[in-house]
Amino acid sequence: MADTKRVFIPGCSLPSYNPDAVMKTLEFLQEKLPGTGGILKCCGKPTKALGQVDKFKERYGDFQSEVDKLGADEIIVACQSCFLTMSANSPNQTVKSLWAMFPTLGLPERAKGIGKKSDITFAIHDSCSTRDRKDIHDGIRWIMSELGYKVEEPPHTRENTKCCGFGGMIVPANPDLAQRVMNKRTEEVESDYMVTYCAACRESMVKGGKKAVHILDLIFGDMYDSNSEFPGNPSSPLKGWTNRYKSKSNIKKVLK
Amino acid sequence: MSKFTYPQEVLDKMRDIVDNCMGEEVPYCEATCPMHTDVKGYVNLIAEKRYEDAIKLIREKLFLPASLGRVCAHPCEENCKRETEYRQPMAIAALKRFVADNFDKEELWNLDKKENNNKKVAVIGAGPAGAQAALDLVMEGYSVTVYDRLPVYGGMMRVGIPEYRLPRNIIDFEYSLLEKLGVEFKMGVEVGKDISFDELKENHDGVIIAVGAHKGVIIPIEGHDKDGVLDAVNFLRDVSLDKENVKIAKKIAVIGGGNVAIDVARSARRVGAEEVHLVCLEEKGKMPAHDWEVEEAEEEGVTLHAGFGPEKIVDENGKVVGFEIKKCLSIIDDEGNFNPQFDENNKLVLDVENVVFAVGQSVDNAFVNETLETKRGGRFNVDPVTLQSQIENVFVAGDASGGSVIAIEAMAEGRKAAKSMMRLFNGEELHTDREKEGTYETRLETDIKEGTEDLPRISTTQLDPKIRIQDFREVDLGLTEDNAIEEASRCLKCECKLCMNECVMLNDYCECPKDLFENILETGDVDPMIPYSCNMCSQCTIACPKDFEMSGRFMDMRKVMIKQNNGKSPIKGHSAIEMHQLLGFSKLFNTSKPAKTSSKKAEKGRS
Repeated sequence: MADTKRVFIPGCSLPSYNPDAVMKTLEFLQEKLPGTGGILKCCGKPTKALGQVDKFKERYGDFQSEVDKLGADEIIVACQSCFLTMSANSPNQTVKSLWAMFPTLGLPERAKGIGKKSDITFAIHDSCSTRDRKDIHDGIRWIMSELGYKVEEPPHTRENTKCCGFGGMIVPANPDLAQRVMNKRTEEVESDYMVTYCAACRESMVKGGKKAVHILDLIFGDMYDSNSEFPGNPSSPLKGWTNRYKSKSNIKKVLK
Repeated sequence: MSKFTYPQEVLDKMRDIVDNCMGEEVPYCEATCPMHTDVKGYVNLIAEKRYEDAIKLIREKLFLPASLGRVCAHPCEENCKRETEYRQPMAIAALKRFVADNFDKEELWNLDKKENNNKKVAVIGAGPAGAQAALDLVMEGYSVTVYDRLPVYGGMMRVGIPEYRLPRNIIDFEYSLLEKLGVEFKMGVEVGKDISFDELKENHDGVIIAVGAHKGVIIPIEGHDKDGVLDAVNFLRDVSLDKENVKIAKKIAVIGGGNVAIDVARSARRVGAEEVHLVCLEEKGKMPAHDWEVEEAEEEGVTLHAGFGPEKIVDENGKVVGFEIKKCLSIIDDEGNFNPQFDENNKLVLDVENVVFAVGQSVDNAFVNETLETKRGGRFNVDPVTLQSQIENVFVAGDASGGSVIAIEAMAEGRKAAKSMMRLFNGEELHTDREKEGTYETRLETDIKEGTEDLPRISTTQLDPKIRIQDFREVDLGLTEDNAIEEASRCLKCECKLCMNECVMLNDYCECPKDLFENILETGDVDPMIPYSCNMCSQCTIACPKDFEMSGRFMDMRKVMIKQNNGKSPIKGHSAIEMHQLLGFSKLFNTSKPAKTSSKKAEKGRS
C-alpha cells in the first residue's frame, strides 16, 4: 500500500457537477505525479457547518481511516472546504490545493493558450473559505493566464472576495436570503461570464444570473466563447447523484 | 422552543461584541452637542427636502431652533468629520436656522405635558439655562414660575448678544412655547429686592438659580474710575433695552479679545461711535473671538490693536480723554500662568473719550445673602455632577455656577439641574448614570470612505457693511433653499455599520451586531433561523474595525442548538442535508483507490 504517496480527493460538489473533469484531472495527476490514488467520499463538512460536533468527529474519522488505509502522506484537494477541513483535521498528511499546484505541474499541452482567441472575459470569483490563501488565488490567475483567457477582477476579490451565497448551509435553511446573497455577488461583476474553482460557487453564480464555468471546464474542455453553450444548473438532485456515480466509476477506471 | 442556554464562554464573547461594537455609537456632532441634537438626522432630512420632519426632529431637543441657528457657537462643527478631515465643517447652525426660519410653525410644537403633580418650582433667570429647566419641569407636570429682573425674555441672549445677530421677535416667538405650556413668568421682578430668596424657598418645593453673570468686570488700572469708563455688560444691556438713549463718544476704545468685545465694538458703531479701537493682548488669529467675527468687525470699520495691553486711562478733570496702551510680548509664562509681559518702550495713546472693558463677567450673588458658598467671579459652588448647592432643594445652572459659557451649554445645564431636582423629589439617587449629559466623547471611529470628495462649506451671505452699520438689522442673511440642500448633502452621515454594508443577512435581522447580540443576551431568546442564516463568509469581520467574528458567534449558537435538540438541526430545511450526508457516505457513491502499481516504476524512474 505504501505505493500510494498521495491521494486526489475531488470532494462532493465537483463529482456531482462534472465526472469527466474528475477523470481527466486524475489522469493528469497520474501522469505528472505517479503514485497518486483517489478517494471519493464526503469529509463530513456539512455536519460541521450545522454545528454537529459529535457527528462530524465520527464522519471525519470514517474518512480519515480511508486515507490512512491507502498510506498516503499527501492529500490533493479540488474543494476549498475540503482544504480547510482536512488541513485542520489530518495532522499526519500534507494538504495541497490542486490550484496552487498547477503553476509547478504546468497545464496539459492542449490547454495552453486555448482561450487566446476567445471573445469573452471571465470574471474570477474566489471562494471565500480560502480568502487568506494567496497561493490559491495566484494559482488560479496563473492558470487563466496560461489558458489565454481575458479576466476581470471584481471589486471584491481575492482576500476580500464576497460569499457566493452557498456557504454555511443556508440554501436549504433560508433559500430566499441565499438568492439575495447570490444576486449581491453577481451584481458587482461587469462581465456576463464568470469562472469559479468550486462547483457550488459556480452554481450560485448561475443562480445570480451569470454564465459560469468551473476552471476545470476551461482546462479540460473546449474553448469557451460567446457562441458556446454554458453549463446550466441541474433541475433535480438526481442529476447530481448520477454524476457522482459516474465520477466514482471514472476514478475506478483511471486507477484500474 | 427558541430559548437556549449558552455556556459562559459563549456569552462572554457575545458580551464583548455588545460592549464594543460601534454600530449604535452616535456621530461626533451629536455627542459634542451639549443637548445631543440629532444633527445627522435633521441635516439629512433637509437634504431630502423633508423640512417639516427636520424641524420636528430638532424640536425634540431644542425649543430655540431659530435663535440657536443664529447665535450658537456650534461646538458640533468643530468635531464634524468634514472639519477634522478637510477643515470644511458642515454649516450645522446655518442649516438649523434655515429650516427654523422657513418651516417652524406653532402647530408643530409638542404641548403634551404630564398631569400636574402639585409640586412648585421657582426658577430665577429667564435665560437659556433657566428656560430649559422650566421647560423640562413643566413637561413633567411641575408648576413652574420664572423670575427675572429684566423686563424681557432671554437673559444674555437678549441683553448680551446684539440685536443684529439675534432679532428680538425670534426670542419672544420661541419663548412663547413656555407660556403655552403654562410656565408663569414674573418679569421685571428682582429676587433679593422685590421678593426675598428665603420667601422664594418657602413658597416652592425647589429653586433653580440661573441668574447668569451680569456684572461687568473692570481691571483696576490707573484711571479706571474716571468718567467715561464703561463695562461691556452694562453697555450691551443698555443698547439692547434702550438703544435710542445710549450715550457713546465719537471715539472709543474697547479692551478685550473675545466675542463680547466684538459685540461691544460693533454695537458702538451702530449707536454713533465713528472711531472704534479694539485692543487685545492676543495677536490676530489667536484671539478668543471667532475669526469671522473679527473679520466682520473690521469690515464695519473697527480698528484692531491686536497684541496690545492697557497702560493707563488718561483723563482731564475726571473725564476720559485718552487710553494709553503698550505692546504685549507674551501672555502666558513658563509655568503656564496668565502673566503678560510688555515692551515698556512701545506705547501709544489712543485719542478716545470712552474705554469699555470687555474682559469678563461675574455673578451678582447678593440676593442669597451669603446662604450659599461662592467662588471666583461670584459663581456658586455646586456639585458638578448634579448642580446641587449646599441647600438640598436649590440647584444652580448655567453661567451662575460657571458650568457653561455658551447658550447651548447653559441649556444642557438647565436640563441637568431640572433632572437632579426631579430625582430629589422622587427620592432617587442623584449621581448615577450621568456620564452622557452635556458634551462627551463618542466611541465611534470612522475613516473617510473611498471616493469621498472634499467639498467646500457653503457660507451664508452677509448684508453689505455700509448698510448694516446704519442700524441693528440682521447682518447674516442665512442660506437659500438651494444652498441649504447643497450644504446638507455634504454630510458624511458618520456611522460605523461597515459590516452592514457587506452582509445581506445581518440586515434582515438587526441594525448592527450590538443590537442583535444585546437582544439575545437580554432575552436568551433567538430565532434559530438567525444563526443558521450566516454564510460564514467572514466579510463582516474583514469590514469590522474591531475584527469581531460574528460567524464564530453564530457557530457557537449552532453547536448549542444541536446539543439541546438531540443532535439535530432545528431548521426544517436541513433534513435534506441529512439525506445528502447519508448518500455521501454510502458505499454506492464512495470509492477509495490506491495508486496504480505500474506507476511505481515510473515514479522511481522519474526521480
